Amino acid sequence: MSNEAALIAAAKNGSASAFSDLVRSYREGLLRFLLTRSSSYADAEDALQDTLINAYRYLNSYDPRWRFSTWLYRIAINNAAKNYTPPTIEIGELSDAENDPLLHCIAASERSNLWLTARRLFSDEVYAAMWLRYVEDMSVKDISSVLERSVSWTKVNLLRGRKALDADLNRETAANERKAYG
Amino acid sequence: MDKLAKRLRDDAAQIECTVSDELNNRIEASLQGIQVQAAQQPVAETRPAWFWWVSSLTGVAVAATIIVAINLQAPEPQPGRTEPVAAGLTVPSMEWNAQSAVLTRPLRQEIEDLQSDLEKAEEAVKQDIERLF
Repeated sequence: MSNEAALIAAAKNGSASAFSDLVRSYREGLLRFLLTRSSSYADAEDALQDTLINAYRYLNSYDPRWRFSTWLYRIAINNAAKNYTPPTIEIGELSDAENDPLLHCIAASERSNLWLTARRLFSDEVYAAMWLRYVEDMSVKDISSVLERSVSWTKVNLLRGRKALDADLNRETAANERKAYG
Repeated sequence: MDKLAKRLRDDAAQIECTVSDELNNRIEASLQGIQVQAAQQPVAETRPAWFWWVSSLTGVAVAATIIVAINLQAPEPQPGRTEPVAAGLTVPSMEWNAQSAVLTRPLRQEIEDLQSDLEKAEEAVKQDIERLF
């Protein structure tokens, strides 16, 4: 039995500390993922807390045929959707782009971050698919399970996402070269 | 790993985000107060098997009784009178003045070219998908 399976078994028997150990390595990745689906940093933190609480509460419904992370991300997406409150724009503010919690977590010198471009170009679902594929290294099948979409939908949208980001990357490279050579 | 995948991974690492001690403590405290819900057991069969047979037969008997009762009460259908209708009034006469179109050689060639382009595009998309996943 793997370490993860042993921790799951112990957590199912009511050991909160075993569950805590089990999800320790996922916390940061989940928070980073939830930041892109929440209207503020505090909302993302709340969504993380709810995700872990619900995962522990309903641990008996986890099907070991799937990866634990797949199940966890599915719960995270549901919680983020439940907690999401559209940001309100105060009078005098031109747009809500500056309130994007993702923007606050990226240093000013890194504003050419591709995830900001992705956030601008893609829908939440396509963004999530790209994130799960390229950051969490999930298989297409796992991603389609997390997003409750078909495998072909996932493949097509990953391909489209790649092409859109590739085009953006090429534009950026060309602009940098132009700047370098005057 | 290709250039884009590497860039996406690197850029994700640039997102500064840590789970604070306060949040960690909050989560730990919440977990302590929660019980894992027991797995749902399948609902036990409470009714005997003959119950379903009896209820099915009762349903069939009631349905048959209702059908018979309705048919006994229904009046005999009276033969209706139908007025003869002139065929010319109901079916409008139309004069078809159609000419058969003949496909010219260039048009057919065009269709074949388009089909060939479509097949090539489909093949390119398939290759892209297979290459990536």
